[in-house]
Amino acid sequence: EKMPAYKVYYFNARGRAEPTRLLLAAAGVPFEDVRFEVEKWPEYKPKMPMGQAPVLEVDGTMICQSAAMARFVARETGRAGKTNLELAKADMIVDGVADLMNAMANYHYYEPDEARKAEKKKTFFETTLPQFLGHFEKLLVANNGGDGFFAGDGLTHAETFFLCLYESISKENPNVLNAFPKLTALVERIRTYPGIKEWLAKRPQTEF
Amino acid sequence: MAPRYRMIYFNLRARAEPTRLLFAAAGLQYEDVRIRRDTEWPALKPNTPMGQVPVLEVDGVTICQSNAIARYVAKETGLAGKTNLEQAQVDMLVDGMGDLRGKQAAIRKASEDKKDQCKEELAAFAPNFLRRYEELSGPHAGHLVGDSLTWADLEFYDVMTKVLMYLPGIIDNLPKLAKVMDTVPANKGVADWLAKRPETPH
Repeated sequence: EKMPAYKVYYFNARGRAEPTRLLLAAAGVPFEDVRFEVEKWPEYKPKMPMGQAPVLEVDGTMICQSAAMARFVARETGRAGKTNLELAKADMIVDGVADLMNAMANYHYYEPDEARKAEKKKTFFETTLPQFLGHFEKLLVANNGGDGFFAGDGLTHAETFFLCLYESISKENPNVLNAFPKLTALVERIRTYPGIKEWLAKRPQTEF
Repeated sequence: MAPRYRMIYFNLRARAEPTRLLFAAAGLQYEDVRIRRDTEWPALKPNTPMGQVPVLEVDGVTICQSNAIARYVAKETGLAGKTNLEQAQVDMLVDGMGDLRGKQAAIRKASEDKKDQCKEELAAFAPNFLRRYEELSGPHAGHLVGDSLTWADLEFYDVMTKVLMYLPGIIDNLPKLAKVMDTVPANKGVADWLAKRPETPH
């Protein structure tokens, strides 16, 4: 059966497209990695289902919303858990990670006042983030001792979202996972995963 | 025998209601536990996966995050979409609706002096948003995806019921979306639930 043609549309950044790119890489599925400059966005916007990026195009059909895209690729490539319950465990991590990424975007992009921005960032790194990392560590450990993955016995979209979160938070604080040994080991496990390892070495290097 | 599923939330519709609508539409039994924020929540909170509700307990596992819960129940009940692609379309429509839900909830949460501004923001946001959803809606009238009821229809019904309180005519000229508002309560399980569910502020 012919493999579908995949295209990922996004800005030249990891951002909200990277969890999907990582899954395509893990599956060894070739894809067209379309990256447009900010000035070109007005040309692309009307073509996108909800006027937003990223978008995944598969054989001409467009799927938007970063988690929906990633979950679709995960399911197509057998990395979405083996049962509905395993998928739910992966999904809840993805949603928790997305909440944290939204909180970061809130202070970084949407807070115009510099003093309030610094305050929100401080609260994020000192309170919100450690709390959630603690939850994630506990959930990882609950899955067969924590030396594998968040859900079932394989990499899922939960891992690719988590790696993207890690890449953002560790820029700010390289020691951010010091208190979480299982999460620390998981990051290495994701980074060295076949397909992902090669992608990390060759992907465009961008600030975000 | 106790139901296999136990959902815990406050005595509100809010983020638990789409899942309750899924259970109702499918006629699937569950324990609809509603806890008191003041006396019961503090003890429960540390025993939840991320310090939040709703949670769903099933087969000794606790799931959190309202969309993860809803998707799980949708998949268990065959209301998630029939193919991977349909499921992705359902997922994207539900995720997008989070923005509309948020703008509507902001009105309720705003202080009195900010409420009018939030209402204006909803009024500015909703028309384009809904026009896109009319376009994204599949060819079978009354169903956003595919040819039968899905989670996307239930989520839309839940959010739009609230949005229509502020913008009553907003989908009058969007026939596919308007038809969804008829199809959903025509499901017997949903109709029974709507008639008997507890009255709550939101």
